[in-house]
Amino acid sequence: MHDFIERITAYVHWALFLLLEALSGFLLFQYNHYQGSVWFTQANIVAAQVHEWEADVLSYLRMPAENAALVERNIILQHQNDLLRHTAPSQPTLKGRESHGQAASPLMGDLEGYLIPARIIDNSVRKKDNMLVIDIGSNDGVEPEMGVVSGTGVVGIISAVTPHYALVMSILNSHSSISCRLRGTEYFGYLKWKGGSPLRASMDDVPRHAHIRKGDIVETSGFSAVFPPGIFLGKVAEVKNSGDGMAYELEILLSTDLANIRHVAVINNHSKAELDSLHRQ
Amino acid sequence: MILPILKRMAWALLLLLVQVLVMDQVHPWGYGAPLLCPLIVITLPKGTSRSAALLWGFGTGIIADIFAGTAGISSAALTLIALLQPPLLELTAPRDSEEELHPSFSTMGRWNYLRFIILLLLIHHVIYFTLEGFSYFFLTDIAISMGVSYAASLLLIVIIEHVRSPKK
Repeated sequence: MHDFIERITAYVHWALFLLLEALSGFLLFQYNHYQGSVWFTQANIVAAQVHEWEADVLSYLRMPAENAALVERNIILQHQNDLLRHTAPSQPTLKGRESHGQAASPLMGDLEGYLIPARIIDNSVRKKDNMLVIDIGSNDGVEPEMGVVSGTGVVGIISAVTPHYALVMSILNSHSSISCRLRGTEYFGYLKWKGGSPLRASMDDVPRHAHIRKGDIVETSGFSAVFPPGIFLGKVAEVKNSGDGMAYELEILLSTDLANIRHVAVINNHSKAELDSLHRQ
Repeated sequence: MILPILKRMAWALLLLLVQVLVMDQVHPWGYGAPLLCPLIVITLPKGTSRSAALLWGFGTGIIADIFAGTAGISSAALTLIALLQPPLLELTAPRDSEEELHPSFSTMGRWNYLRFIILLLLIHHVIYFTLEGFSYFFLTDIAISMGVSYAASLLLIVIIEHVRSPKK
């Protein structure tokens, strides 16, 4: 005990030194305007830098949730955009290009509440028949034949589900065929991928009398119950004749880079279509 | 026991008065004033407890700060040299010096004491002028002020110590 007290007292002067220096520092910054202001600004710069780092780290950590929310918001907006376009036929850009009435879509109205966010856990773009796996399954309400979309456009269609995962047939699959149309017209066709670049697909069976320009937007037609109308697919990159010369074959630059996506959403079209049909009765 | 403390206080008071009334008014070539207060810490006798030395340094500094309007600057610098004074005195004092050695030219020897003063005064001035300038933008000005004040302080302290030192 005696030793202990001796040891403590041997270091008392250090504590006293720190205390007196702290007191001097306090007096220095409290009562000297110049030093106080320099200290204040420098301390603020340091604090601001630390806060910036903190914000960077936090925003990075929050990114997955924000991405999922953005994907959902984007899809909803695309769909709302499409609905607005069709309820405002006098809009100058569409004048003269609008066809006679809107095709009856099984997926009408707002999409809000019908999107199930998901993350891609396995993906391929180099094969002939590419598939994806997402981290939600039947337990989350996912069923085969539901559409899968990302913030930039269509990704694929659910082909099989397990309780926790779902297998998605990518649009980069030789068996994939998505009903699509040229925006602002009712010329429709089917989007197919014939191998090669994962950024290019083709749209067949476009009638020869259609006026098509490079850069025209291709979107889902809404003819099937899988995708609502107006979801982006891509833009017309080239217009070619089909093999039999009876129609055009359009080369489409896809809006979604499937090699570079992580967050998607599944459109719960089953309950949505059911509810919409109930509304129409 | 009380008498040496009172004598020391009187010595400190005298130096503080000279500092406040005379030295603080003198600015050689417009640069830093000579600082004599460190002498109060420098002359603390060997055997002074380290805590007591710190209180002497801080107390002297606070009084100098109050009169010079430099709150915290002198007290910080003098507290630091008060922490270093006992071990430096141990290092520079002759080995066979008495237990309660009062640092001076006569007790420590001319060079030993001069080295002791030069070192403690330098540390004091570096801290003092760094805190006073408190910016790297004025580095040249701070260095000149420090150099001028250091030279003037050293000269005055050596003169005072020569006068004070008992002749052999």
